Amino acid sequence: MDAVLSIDTLAAGLRLALPVALAALGALLCERSGVLNLGLEGLMLCGALAGYLVTDSTGSPWVGLFAGLVIGGLCGALLGGAVVYLAANQVVAGLAFSLIAVSATTYVYEGSYDIGQSPPRIERISMPPLVILTLVVLGIVVVLLRSTLSGLVLTATGESPVAVDALGYSVQRTRLFTTIGGSALAGLGGAVLVCGPLGLFIQNVTAGRGWVALALVVFAGWKPVPCVIGAFLFGVCDAAQLRIQGTDTGVPYEVFLALPYAVTLVAMVVRGRRSRTPATLGIAFHRSTA
Amino acid sequence: MSAVVVEPSAAGSGNSGGSAVEIVAGGFDRRRLVTTIGVPVGAVLASLLVGAVLIAIEGSNPLAVYAEVFRGVFVENRGLRNTAIGATPLVLMGCGLAIAYRSSLYTIGAEGQYVIGAVAATAWATAGGVRDLPSPLLIVGCLVIGAIAGSAWSCISAALNTRFGTNIVISSLLLTYVGLAIMQWAIRVGIRDPESFIPASRMIGDAALPIVPGLNTHLGFVIALVVVPVLTVVMSRTRFGYRVDVLGHNPNALGANEVRESRVMFGVLGLVGALSGIAGYIQVAGVTQRINAEFSVGYGYTAILVALLGRMNLVGVLLAGLGLSGLTIGLDVAERTYDLPSSLTGLLQALIIIFVVLADAIAGRIELRRP
Repeated sequence: MDAVLSIDTLAAGLRLALPVALAALGALLCERSGVLNLGLEGLMLCGALAGYLVTDSTGSPWVGLFAGLVIGGLCGALLGGAVVYLAANQVVAGLAFSLIAVSATTYVYEGSYDIGQSPPRIERISMPPLVILTLVVLGIVVVLLRSTLSGLVLTATGESPVAVDALGYSVQRTRLFTTIGGSALAGLGGAVLVCGPLGLFIQNVTAGRGWVALALVVFAGWKPVPCVIGAFLFGVCDAAQLRIQGTDTGVPYEVFLALPYAVTLVAMVVRGRRSRTPATLGIAFHRSTA
Repeated sequence: MSAVVVEPSAAGSGNSGGSAVEIVAGGFDRRRLVTTIGVPVGAVLASLLVGAVLIAIEGSNPLAVYAEVFRGVFVENRGLRNTAIGATPLVLMGCGLAIAYRSSLYTIGAEGQYVIGAVAATAWATAGGVRDLPSPLLIVGCLVIGAIAGSAWSCISAALNTRFGTNIVISSLLLTYVGLAIMQWAIRVGIRDPESFIPASRMIGDAALPIVPGLNTHLGFVIALVVVPVLTVVMSRTRFGYRVDVLGHNPNALGANEVRESRVMFGVLGLVGALSGIAGYIQVAGVTQRINAEFSVGYGYTAILVALLGRMNLVGVLLAGLGLSGLTIGLDVAERTYDLPSSLTGLLQALIIIFVVLADAIAGRIELRRP
């Protein structure tokens, strides 16, 4: 067990936490404005593929990260358009998007290299810049929500869209832009996963991390800093799980396989109180029904 | 405020067949029929059209490929039989999910319940002492145990939601990962076949489902065919069915009638889990004969698609399940003949769902504009 709980594990945990932290911050923004973004898993996956392909062709993982951000934003615009302006059921649309992303990314990925040839590994970014990037994003989200007018309007849109509408701000536009921004962060998270710790893309590479990020938002009580701390907790469990598979312990390694998800579930249960949920989360706004 | 909460969600899912609103109105709306049938059929056609473009980009003739798909299902020796067998888990799980989605309980953990049901039933059927029981007894026992295990797994989500307000969408999915880990442990240690080199359970033995003469499929397909009308009657003629629809449209109405929301929720999620667990056992007993590491292939996720494509109507689920299964079987043949990427099937299914969701939203939008 000594080898499992070491500095190395913590470092690996931090590395695995970064993508989840970014995606969780994205989900947090969306949910604060009242949009339940269940497409998160799919957005991460799209961002991951974009990051991989662009890094592979340009040779620069930083351009890859940017591509992940842009693709996340574009997909967010589609998803946002559907749930905000068309008032599509947010759960169904998000779920559908996540299901679609698995097939679509596999299709594009398999088409990107010749059969028989192994897919190339890409250049990776070392950890310190990615940690700084995540902290910068965290800083921006905190400042945005806490000390800007836009942040106030964003939160108000989630709590009372009628009031926001009466004050002359556009509920729909706020929600659309927030969804685009939040989705872009999820895409960036996916790209960080591929361009940072992994250095390669595989089918369904995110393996449920988007869903974990969504659970973390609940765990964090819709606050950005606890979101990132929760992501770190998940990352450490994930790293411990990867490490323990190689060591021989009395405990079956499947326990550790399930651990990151079980811990997330427990965390969500322990901290998830209904009272902090944005009042209109998941409910489309339309003047005629408001 | 409650009126605001209820209205838009009702508009969003207003096209689900046999909903409470329709029952209350008691009328027959022709426009609703158009959206009920037109939306899924249109979505399928639209995605086949986009698929044709993709096939053309891959360098094959789309018409020839689709002809091959048709041939693979209706002409090829085992096409229809394979379609029915492939549709069995989709229809079973799709029925449960359709009912859950009608009551706005968006569980997506069917895959986990499917695996847990399969493991529990296999564990019982291959245990020493039990495996020598007569075959009919084993099959019935497995069905019951699979149903109970899947149901219990699904009810964890319901319990967490009732007690702590935990989101069902997320908890059910996280539980799927835990369920998959349990399956991996079971086939490596718990119910492992000692004679197998790779992790795999013992063979299911006498609990295997017999082939139905005439139909040429295993008994599970007949079970799926029976479940559809039974649940249709339950949903349209019983108090439980009515409450499920009410829960989806206005949970406050349940409270006002002193029906506890949580009891309906346990009923619905328990039903989803039971059907998924049965589907898991049927897949082992009818197709794979044992559980190995490749057992979970994502039927639980495709079943979500089946429920949505079937407009959350149980007959619709049957048609959607058969249709998607046929598309998979046919495309599998066509992909081999024309050397197309195997991910094309998944992509076409994904396209269908995009078009269903979009058409649905647009239809709901038009509904909203109507005076």
